[in-house]
Amino acid sequence: MAKVLEGPAMELFNKWGIRTPRHVVISDTHQIDGLVQSNQWMRECKMVVKAHEAIGSRMKLGLVKVELDVDQAVAAAKEIMGRTIQGLTISQVIIAEMIPHQEEYYLAVKSLREGAEVLMAKFGGIEVEENWEKVTKTFVEVGETPTDEQLEKCAKEAGFSGEMVEKIRKFAFRLFECYDNEDGQYMEINPLTINPADGKLVALDAVVLLDGDARFRHPDWSFSFAPEFGRAYTDDEKQIMEIDSRVKGSVKFIEIPGGEVAMLPAGGGASVFYSDAVVALGGSLANYAEYSGDPPAWAVEALTDKICSLPGIKHIIVGGAIANFTDVKATFTGIIAGFRKAKEEGKMSGVKIWVRRGGPNEAIGLDYMRKLSDEGFDIQVFDRYTPLTDLVKFALKG
Amino acid sequence: MSIVANKETKVVIMGGVAGVNAAKRMAEFSHLCGLEPSVTSFVYPPDAGKSVEIPFGSQFLSVPVYKTLAEATKEHPESNTALVYIGANRAYQGCMDALDNPSIKFVSMITEGVAEKDAKLLIRHSKKVGKLLNGPSAIGIMSAGECRLGVIGGEYNNLKLSKLHRQGSFGVITKSGGLSNEIMWMLSQFADGSTTTIGIGGDAYPCTDFVTYLEMFEKDQQTKAVVIVGEMGGDLEEKAAAWYAEKPRRIKLIGVVSGFCQESLPKGMKFGHAGAKEGQHGEGSARYKSDIMTKAGVIVPPTFGDLGSTIKQVYEDLKATGQIKEIDDVPPSQLPDLPRKVEEVIKAGDVQVQPLFKTTISDDRGEEPLYCGYAASELINKGYEIPHVIGLLWNKRLLNDKEAEVIRRIIMLSADHGPCVSGALGTIIAACAGIGLSQSVAAGLIMIGPRFGGAVTDASKYFNYGLVNYPNDIPGFLAYMKKDVGPVPGIGHRVKSVKNPDKRVEELKRCVKELGLRSPHLDYALEVEKVTTGKKDNLILNVDGCIACVLTDLGFPADSLNGFFILARTIGMIGHWIDQRREGGRLIRLYNYLVNFAVPRRREVPDKK
Repeated sequence: MAKVLEGPAMELFNKWGIRTPRHVVISDTHQIDGLVQSNQWMRECKMVVKAHEAIGSRMKLGLVKVELDVDQAVAAAKEIMGRTIQGLTISQVIIAEMIPHQEEYYLAVKSLREGAEVLMAKFGGIEVEENWEKVTKTFVEVGETPTDEQLEKCAKEAGFSGEMVEKIRKFAFRLFECYDNEDGQYMEINPLTINPADGKLVALDAVVLLDGDARFRHPDWSFSFAPEFGRAYTDDEKQIMEIDSRVKGSVKFIEIPGGEVAMLPAGGGASVFYSDAVVALGGSLANYAEYSGDPPAWAVEALTDKICSLPGIKHIIVGGAIANFTDVKATFTGIIAGFRKAKEEGKMSGVKIWVRRGGPNEAIGLDYMRKLSDEGFDIQVFDRYTPLTDLVKFALKG
Repeated sequence: MSIVANKETKVVIMGGVAGVNAAKRMAEFSHLCGLEPSVTSFVYPPDAGKSVEIPFGSQFLSVPVYKTLAEATKEHPESNTALVYIGANRAYQGCMDALDNPSIKFVSMITEGVAEKDAKLLIRHSKKVGKLLNGPSAIGIMSAGECRLGVIGGEYNNLKLSKLHRQGSFGVITKSGGLSNEIMWMLSQFADGSTTTIGIGGDAYPCTDFVTYLEMFEKDQQTKAVVIVGEMGGDLEEKAAAWYAEKPRRIKLIGVVSGFCQESLPKGMKFGHAGAKEGQHGEGSARYKSDIMTKAGVIVPPTFGDLGSTIKQVYEDLKATGQIKEIDDVPPSQLPDLPRKVEEVIKAGDVQVQPLFKTTISDDRGEEPLYCGYAASELINKGYEIPHVIGLLWNKRLLNDKEAEVIRRIIMLSADHGPCVSGALGTIIAACAGIGLSQSVAAGLIMIGPRFGGAVTDASKYFNYGLVNYPNDIPGFLAYMKKDVGPVPGIGHRVKSVKNPDKRVEELKRCVKELGLRSPHLDYALEVEKVTTGKKDNLILNVDGCIACVLTDLGFPADSLNGFFILARTIGMIGHWIDQRREGGRLIRLYNYLVNFAVPRRREVPDKK
């Protein structure tokens, strides 16, 4: 899943005829005066200014300012821009028209295995979570589009009546078209409201999750994806993502601040069992990581470098199942190079390394690891005869 | 027995390099089990019409490549299974072709990073045509002792260690490729091994779910229990639990789910495969899935670490009730090995091979070339130069600096002699005819022979003959030459004479004297010159003769001496080729007036008799 920030999400909505408040995204406060000159609405409407970053609880953090006139909006944008929150410097601000409204509705399209579900509610905002059972749904098979009748029925069941049924039907159809044509996984408008200025429906917010694997057929996706866990990616995470995007196989890395057990396991499946084992034994994870699909040694070395640089770690778990085609010798060569570099930089003191692995060239790879103890590393090496996650037990329980 | 893949499975592989690699692994498995090879053909348009060499035992199979799947199944109608290794942006169409092909009954999609909508459309189409589509992102399928689809099972030795050459009693279904291998290994240690192991792929929407295969395992009498390895996200484990609880099942079901760590992580932080994502209301979490499976009667070990003992317990129970009989295994040493490569056998000292030829000067088997044992980089770092390399490769001797200096000068003096001499002219004519560098230089080099530049070796031979046989008898030597050989090679010049000496010769002579090098051949030749110039002014020691004597005095073998001229003059010829190319030299044709047409006048051709 790949989250799209509000600005580009609204652009995608607009492309499919879904109205949103007028807005601009700025990355340089020097642009503001020019934008005010060019956009009449900025001089006439009340505005909302928000940090345009993947940060959760923006309201609480003071990164959302509402009901601003043009001077206040300019001041708010300048104030928010450049602030550092959770280690992230805010580099973009979105300024949007504030639309006064009474009613709030909810509309979403969600991907399912067999197709998709269109969801509607005649209430919006936080009421949706609280009244989830009143949200109405209608199913659309993959490769099909929803019929007028089914959308109307769904709208009526949600409590819409009169001309609102027709308005909701049309709007829901556009949202479905956007979802279907843009390889959406989840799209949500909450709240949806009637703009008193023209009596038309307008999406006040845009939650858009796209399928990153479909990027190849969307050359107009000029935006980058935002993380989904309420904080921005760190520089180290971004560097590994960049490497991941251009090598054969995969390397993944997410930091978890404050943990003591660093993870350097192989395989998307085994890596999670290793994390589970650490948590089950009361250990604290310092990161999630994974390499698989026979990535080049230099990519694994770069990943190792980041893992050894995690602050305050006591253990590094170099785990892995019996590989099908990932070369153990080659990938271990990368890990060893990373360890040596970290040791030279003084990062390995007090860090215990635990290794378990099988697969092509396992004997040589494990032997290389064992020899690291001659260089002063605190390392324990196990082969296929030691069950997968036992080394976590050895590490945490002695 | 087995499910999905068995001894009757014949495979078309769609895709390039990764597909070929899979075919090699599959042939290794067939070799281990003593089966016929299972891959009939490849579909890969860039290589259509060629064939791929696949090692099979000590033989090489030649597997044809086709442009389309329709062509492949027409030529190989026995093909009933397609493995898709096509890139993510084209895999959808490949799978659609496979599903629509009447020969193909089963498709497994290895491609990773397939767009979810494509996967969903493929699920719909596979249902419509009533065929099974495994994947995407699926490592493959292993039916022990019967058929391997893809690289599942890893390298050859692991196949043996995990007892995949014969059927056990446990089925396996996993989302993770690496773990499928791990579970097969565990089953060989803690139980009697596996029947069929299926990787269904870790994507959000695998085309075939656990239940489809559980139904098949339930019907396969050989399979007594099944291990499923799930992960948080989606609802495949919930559906498997519902299937198991629906009515009494013959097979025992063991299930593990990953993702418990998620409970103690920041919300929304997502690990592992694309499909590993939790629902909004806690459904799909590892705990939720484990609880549902436990309630359904599935045996759920508390952690993955407990899976081994759980498998052992189930195996012992099945043995106790007589459902499983212990297998009397042959020791791994009695299973066939992969044939060793010639290099490995030689290294092990088990075989002696008569070499094709020997070399005594150069060796590049290490990290860098060795010239007569000296590493090229070390020679450079210690200040040695090209003449020293020539000394090593041509005469197997490390020259001293004086000797090297003489060679350096010989090469500098011989590098070029203008555009009109035979060699340069040959190169220029070729260059102007649009011929490439190496062929044009070769056109110049073939001019080097008895009349042009090639007198050096002969001069060396005869001056040496004179020095040995007529050391103090120049007239005797000249008489011998006149009688038995002809003009003395290295003596005489078309233009130069005593009054108009050749600067190059003067320079070389001076150099040898200045450096104080031993020069018996040069001295002898100069004695010969004294006599010959007495007879005729232009019978001087020419540059070929002088070079011959100097190099012979340095100990270079006579046969190598033309090499100095060839080497040096190549520099000039390359220069002439580049010059003509740069200046756009036109095609050369001789003017008629440069030829004496001493030919008969035109006359009538007589009638043919």
